[in-house]
Amino acid sequence: MKRGWQNWFQEKRFAARWQQAKAAAQSTPMAGYYDALLPTDNLLEDTPLIALDFESDGLKEDAQLLEAGWVAVDGGAVKLGSARRLRIRAGNKLQGSAVVIHRITDDAAAEGQSERDVLETLLADLKGSAILAHAAIIEQAFLNAACLRCFGAPFVGRFICTMQLEDRWFPKERTADGFRLGKLRAQYGLPYYRAHDGLTDAMACAELFLAQCARLRTENLMMEDVLMRG
Amino acid sequence: MEIEEVISFLGRHAPFDRLSVSVIASLARKIEIRYFPRGTIIIDAGKENDLLSIVRSGAVELRLGGTELSHRLGEGAVFGYPSLLHHERTRNQVVAHEDSLIYQLPKAAFLKLLESHDTLKAFFAKDEAQRLRLAVAGLRQSEKGNGDAAMIAVKLGSLLRRKEVITASPRDSISDAAKLMTRADVSTLPLIDQGKLVGIITDKDLRRRVLGQDVPVSEPVSRVMTTDLITMAPDDHLLSAMLLMSQHNIHHMPVVNSANAIVGVISSSDLLNRFGMNALQVVAEIKAATDAAAIARAARRVDAVLAHLTESGVDAGNVARFVSNIGETTHSQLLKLAEEQLGPPPVPYALVVFGSLARQEQAGGSDQDNGFILDDSYDARAHGDYFEKLATLLCDGLNSAGYVYCPGDIMATNDKWRQPLSVWKERYRNWIAKPDPENVLNTTIFFDMRCVAGREELVDSLREQIFAWSSANKIFLSFIARAAAHTRVPLGFFRNFLLQHDEREGDVLDLKHQAIAPVVDIARVYALALGLSEVNSEERLRKAAEKGALSQDAVSDIIDSFEFIRSVRFRHQSGQIRQGAAPTNNLSPELLSRFEREHLKDAFRVIRDHMDIVSRKYAGNIQ
Repeated sequence: MKRGWQNWFQEKRFAARWQQAKAAAQSTPMAGYYDALLPTDNLLEDTPLIALDFESDGLKEDAQLLEAGWVAVDGGAVKLGSARRLRIRAGNKLQGSAVVIHRITDDAAAEGQSERDVLETLLADLKGSAILAHAAIIEQAFLNAACLRCFGAPFVGRFICTMQLEDRWFPKERTADGFRLGKLRAQYGLPYYRAHDGLTDAMACAELFLAQCARLRTENLMMEDVLMRG
Repeated sequence: MEIEEVISFLGRHAPFDRLSVSVIASLARKIEIRYFPRGTIIIDAGKENDLLSIVRSGAVELRLGGTELSHRLGEGAVFGYPSLLHHERTRNQVVAHEDSLIYQLPKAAFLKLLESHDTLKAFFAKDEAQRLRLAVAGLRQSEKGNGDAAMIAVKLGSLLRRKEVITASPRDSISDAAKLMTRADVSTLPLIDQGKLVGIITDKDLRRRVLGQDVPVSEPVSRVMTTDLITMAPDDHLLSAMLLMSQHNIHHMPVVNSANAIVGVISSSDLLNRFGMNALQVVAEIKAATDAAAIARAARRVDAVLAHLTESGVDAGNVARFVSNIGETTHSQLLKLAEEQLGPPPVPYALVVFGSLARQEQAGGSDQDNGFILDDSYDARAHGDYFEKLATLLCDGLNSAGYVYCPGDIMATNDKWRQPLSVWKERYRNWIAKPDPENVLNTTIFFDMRCVAGREELVDSLREQIFAWSSANKIFLSFIARAAAHTRVPLGFFRNFLLQHDEREGDVLDLKHQAIAPVVDIARVYALALGLSEVNSEERLRKAAEKGALSQDAVSDIIDSFEFIRSVRFRHQSGQIRQGAAPTNNLSPELLSRFEREHLKDAFRVIRDHMDIVSRKYAGNIQ
């Protein structure tokens, strides 16, 4: 799975972005997060991962985040003791379609914490971990936008995208919805989850990742083998 | 924050469905989720394991250690707990049969949960009992061997000859009946009135009751027929028929349907032809013996009977009944011959036996435990000599027949155990009124007693008195219960064995004292506490359940465990007998198959739990 210069090049770019963000985050609550840079030449099973999912009222970068759910994956196991699900207090009225999908009403969202408090809790857990998400590019964008909003500094982190891994490791013709989380899980014999809150989706993604790695049957997967490329 | 999907899943599956949502919620937070693709080993045998596993999706295959047996577990099934409960290495291998998502709970969290939730404890204990039940069933299955139906399963109906049964009317003359028997070449003639069986006449009856008594053959056959009939139904098991026939020493058994119409006659020779060497034959030979040497010759074949019955797949309870039956017949026939030699007894008396023979639970290699209960009109000066001689003839005869002298001298030859009823009563009264631990351990055997010859009412009278005293005396009961709890069920034995299974282990397992005695003790405590007249342990337990002292499930569990342990003993003994050795109760661990070890352990655990229950219930604060 060595990709030689491509990995080297990507890592160079990442290091530059990380240093930039770290400088911008100085004397903000994000400073602690940037104290720990996760190396890429570690074995995957030795690397702490956090599966993360945001619920939002849209998919654009300025969408309102409604909820964050996450759970740690460590040594090939999803550790439910680390599971968190935090509601984020809404700034604006919710947009109609998201309410239907996520079953989050204005009232329930209003009970949550401020976006800033939720981010601080999340960043503490993310420190030193890679972030696992299905369509991680969205979580990456949300996290970056939210950090800029709350702390004035960008978010840079190591992401693993289960959607991208599926395409990279097991390429084949698919229908339009072929990469949907539920559809992929069914192909791995994983159970159907009724709920679509942030935590359930984070767990669902974590389990999918374990299944993908198991099916790949490659011993000693390295971090660089699974990181999102882009 | 709750982990909804996990909580709702656990809430749908046993045993977690019995927990409150808040308990499940905190449990959920301790779970680790792992994924096992098809064909991967989830748990390997002989390894350390510190996780309780629950199948979230997919299916796994449990392969029973050391056997070809496997068991498929699907969604919601729990596995991997025996090693957690007993702090041992795993016995079984678990392989993902499909791609499986498994929830795993760390050992510490599991054990903590068990501590505070009795319903879970019961679930995991019960599961052990169920496995045991399957094991017993499997064992019988495997003993059928050549695919022939096991003896245990044979119903009488299947043994009946298809041809029509030759019958006559009770109003026919003796002469006509005899001619019909000769023509049809039968030795037994059922007599039918209005379609119903009313009597039976045999060759032997014609000789004894007609020719021997000068009854005219023109008389109706009803005058000499046997009317007091023991019959069975076609659905009854062969084994029950054999037991009845051996107990009553009868050779022909009419089989009737529910309308009491005859459907056939089973003869002991039919059974002998079909099953060869068996208990019936030995009992018949003992009964026909005219001297002690002939009794001894026949009785010594009890070992062959034991081996044959065990190999035929007869369950341990029934093997023990047959073996006991031979023992009992040996006693009664020896006494009968002794009385013939010494003349009739000067006062009424009863031969009482104690221990396993009394309980009809005898196995191979038993010694004798007996005594005489004499009528209170007994006068030592006038009658002492007679009963001493009678006792000597009996006990010597038993010793030559293989029932060796009792090492504890509990024999009618010991004049302590050859006493009038009132002395016996006084002795029991003392044991019960002034119990001390030493006393109790030495006297429990006396609370299992049965009359095998002589006046049954003497034994009944003693027993009734004993139960009246014992059931009313809480202190005595507490001593008995404590003595029962005293036995150490050898659970640790297996742990050592498993860890050192490559080395030659000098230790042996004493099946009789370490495994069988505890069940007998438990049953006895219930019998004494509830005043039950049953002597057989299984019957005592069933009766105790009827009286509500323990649940039907609990009784089935104990009886299954008892059955399993005894079946191991009988198979062990039948192996010794086949090799020409004397049967013993000592088992070297290397002689146990892995299957036996696994399930003996389950059985021991069930027994230990019930010892605790008995001790809590009756031992009170003395414990």
